[in-house]
Amino acid sequence: MTEPIVSLNDVIYRYRGQKTRALDGINLALKRGEFMMLMGPSEAGKSTLAATINGLIPHFHMGGMKGEVIVMGRKTKDFSVAKMAEIVGMVFQDFEAQLFSTNVELEVAFGPENFAVDRKEIKARIDENLSYVGLEAARNRPPSTLSGGQKQKLAIASVLALKPKILVMDEPTTDLDPISKMGVFEITHRLCRRDDLTLLIVEHETEEALFADRIALMKDGKLIKVGPTREILSDVELLESLGVMPLGIPKFFKSVGVEDLPLTPDEGLQKFKDLNLKISDHEYDQITTVEQAALAEMTEPLIQCRNLSHTYPGGVNALKDVTLDIHKGEMVAIIGQNGSGKTTLAKHFNGLLEPTEGEVLVNDKPTREQGIFKLGQSVGYVFQNPDHQIFSEKVFDEVAFSPKLRNFSEKEINERVTEALEAVGLAGQEEEDPFTLTKSGRQRVAVASVLASNPDVLILDEPTTGLDYSEQRSMMDMVRRLNQAGSTIIFITHHMWVVAEYAKRGFVMKDGDIILEGRTREIFSQGDILREAFLRPPHFVEFSHRLGYTFLTPEEMLSCLEGAHD
Amino acid sequence: MDSEIYLDNNSFIHRLDPRVKIIIFLLTFVAILLFENPLWMLPIMVLILIQLFVSGAVKNLRRIRYILIVLTVSSLILWNLFSTGETQLFWRISLESMLFAIARTMLMVLMISTGMILISSTRNEELINGMIKLGMPYRVGFAISTALRLVPTIASSTVTISQAQRSRGLDLESGSIFERIKKFLPLLVPVFISTIRSTNIFGMALESKGFGAREDRTFYLEFTMGTADYIVLTLSILFVLASIYFAISGYGRIDGLIRF
Repeated sequence: MTEPIVSLNDVIYRYRGQKTRALDGINLALKRGEFMMLMGPSEAGKSTLAATINGLIPHFHMGGMKGEVIVMGRKTKDFSVAKMAEIVGMVFQDFEAQLFSTNVELEVAFGPENFAVDRKEIKARIDENLSYVGLEAARNRPPSTLSGGQKQKLAIASVLALKPKILVMDEPTTDLDPISKMGVFEITHRLCRRDDLTLLIVEHETEEALFADRIALMKDGKLIKVGPTREILSDVELLESLGVMPLGIPKFFKSVGVEDLPLTPDEGLQKFKDLNLKISDHEYDQITTVEQAALAEMTEPLIQCRNLSHTYPGGVNALKDVTLDIHKGEMVAIIGQNGSGKTTLAKHFNGLLEPTEGEVLVNDKPTREQGIFKLGQSVGYVFQNPDHQIFSEKVFDEVAFSPKLRNFSEKEINERVTEALEAVGLAGQEEEDPFTLTKSGRQRVAVASVLASNPDVLILDEPTTGLDYSEQRSMMDMVRRLNQAGSTIIFITHHMWVVAEYAKRGFVMKDGDIILEGRTREIFSQGDILREAFLRPPHFVEFSHRLGYTFLTPEEMLSCLEGAHD
Repeated sequence: MDSEIYLDNNSFIHRLDPRVKIIIFLLTFVAILLFENPLWMLPIMVLILIQLFVSGAVKNLRRIRYILIVLTVSSLILWNLFSTGETQLFWRISLESMLFAIARTMLMVLMISTGMILISSTRNEELINGMIKLGMPYRVGFAISTALRLVPTIASSTVTISQAQRSRGLDLESGSIFERIKKFLPLLVPVFISTIRSTNIFGMALESKGFGAREDRTFYLEFTMGTADYIVLTLSILFVLASIYFAISGYGRIDGLIRF
């Protein structure tokens, strides 16, 4: 056996000022050339573990470390982060903050420049790595004009230019839209075939884990299980208990009672045939009938767009002649790539933006006449990043902000804050400092602070981004409860499974236009149009497709299995 | 959103060696400061106007036009109040003080313009490399470039944050001045926090790419002084020398001006 390229021995780490250990006795060895995926719930210590490999821990962060990390014979304790950069490359989640040059070429040159690499060699590395990630055409552009996905590709190229032996990526795709995700994953698929590079990627997308050699599962600073990909992904129960999203296909077959679980749609199809399973058409029709009936009940229009176009100052035509109706009591999803116009559309619903052509009516009145202050009361808008709105020292004050501005009485404010916090599951935490909460906690505070003004409509811009699977579930379950209690919900998301499981109806946008709308099931049955918008249904939906149906969840399919009700 | 200061125009000024541009920037300051009579400032003003249009930096000035208008108006009033002269015009304002106020206002606007020309036509890296080649330590240069880089980042997060707070009912356009200042708190806190958070990641990314790993370092960008650079530099030096000569000879003053 060859020596491991990275080894962590009894690593314990605690951030300064924290009571609990972020890493609690980690022992892990990476083999030369392997691709390991690190998964687990939020706050499990995944990013902390990743940061130990290039020495950001212990050198950059404040805290106490025990044990040792050895990378290619170097103890990280004895080498500065900058020195480690020669052998360990690091790509971060935040693609904005990790780029600092005014030009794509120079961004790639920055690393080699620091190691006094010869200019000719730098030029060669720029050429090589930009073509590797597919950014040659953008080489003279400023990074700020690139899309999120291109920025992340550039970050990868700029790190590869240092010719590292180990590449660590900390949630490289979390903030990206589906097509950009695919682009970045496509690069990682090529990287993992290179045997001169060892890959460690922290990731939430279970479908992507299929490409890894091994998966390490973490929770509470401990490694729960490290094993070959197939073995880990087949352990549906363990994944679920850790708050990691299990794949739909093994989940389905596990419920059927199969031992040797298929993972991919291909394998699933084969297994389905081998087992001679059958879907009952009668049950399937029943599901769609119920769905249609439920939607047909909602006829009172709440938001109406009539030939809505929006052109930004500077000439970007972000919306083109959009006409749509959203009815009272609905729960609809808006999906599409970044730049397709989703957020621009949603910002018309609460009057943040006004149509440059056409009209938007809310409660039968044009938004132009109502203004943001008044509209904001009936149409609540939760922005994507909770840190863009939280400013108070106490959760109570944050949530009370909106009702106070709207001059409610003190008694009423108290009631509303209590109600809103109860709705988001933060009752009793009025006195907490919102900045000490986790991302999902802050997200909830943001939702509560919008709920507190009792809106009829709630718009959520990517409410699940940056949350782990169980947090995403509980966030969306909460949103669904609000919907059942009478609120109309509009959400924008990149997570297709969230759409599949929670939306009743959807709009697919591309280049400022709605190219597909309808019941969620109808939308997901149009694979071709979705692909045209660069969207991809979850594996499980694709699998059901190939059987000739559109099932949104494993549970649904299970209930329609022939003989399931015997 | 387009919030970069650098304009990718590739004009004649863009193509000049950054060292030449930095030297011209400094020389312009000297030339502006020499005279107190606005008439004598006209030549340098014309030169700066030409540069503004050639480089396309007017676009950036237009972005800060409100600040410029406020500065112009307040400076015209203040300098009139802080100086006086023999030829009374009206109220407390004399011809001399008016001229002086105009000159001081020009001075300020021209300084801003010449700075804007420099950063609109020079990439961050070019600016820093130029400064380093002129003798500034690398780390100092890098710090300056980082500060410049933060401006567009902060500007774009401010836009998002103000939209988020307006959606919650924050009305920035009404109320007395004190009420309005208080209303900026919900904007400032998130701007600060998100900036601190992103600079933290910035620091990590910087070290992870080997910043400061060794004493020596390559500069991928390389400049060579071309004929145009030498000509422009020579002309600028001659212009400033001539200006200095006239100033020493006593031209360009305002007779009868009394400053407080």
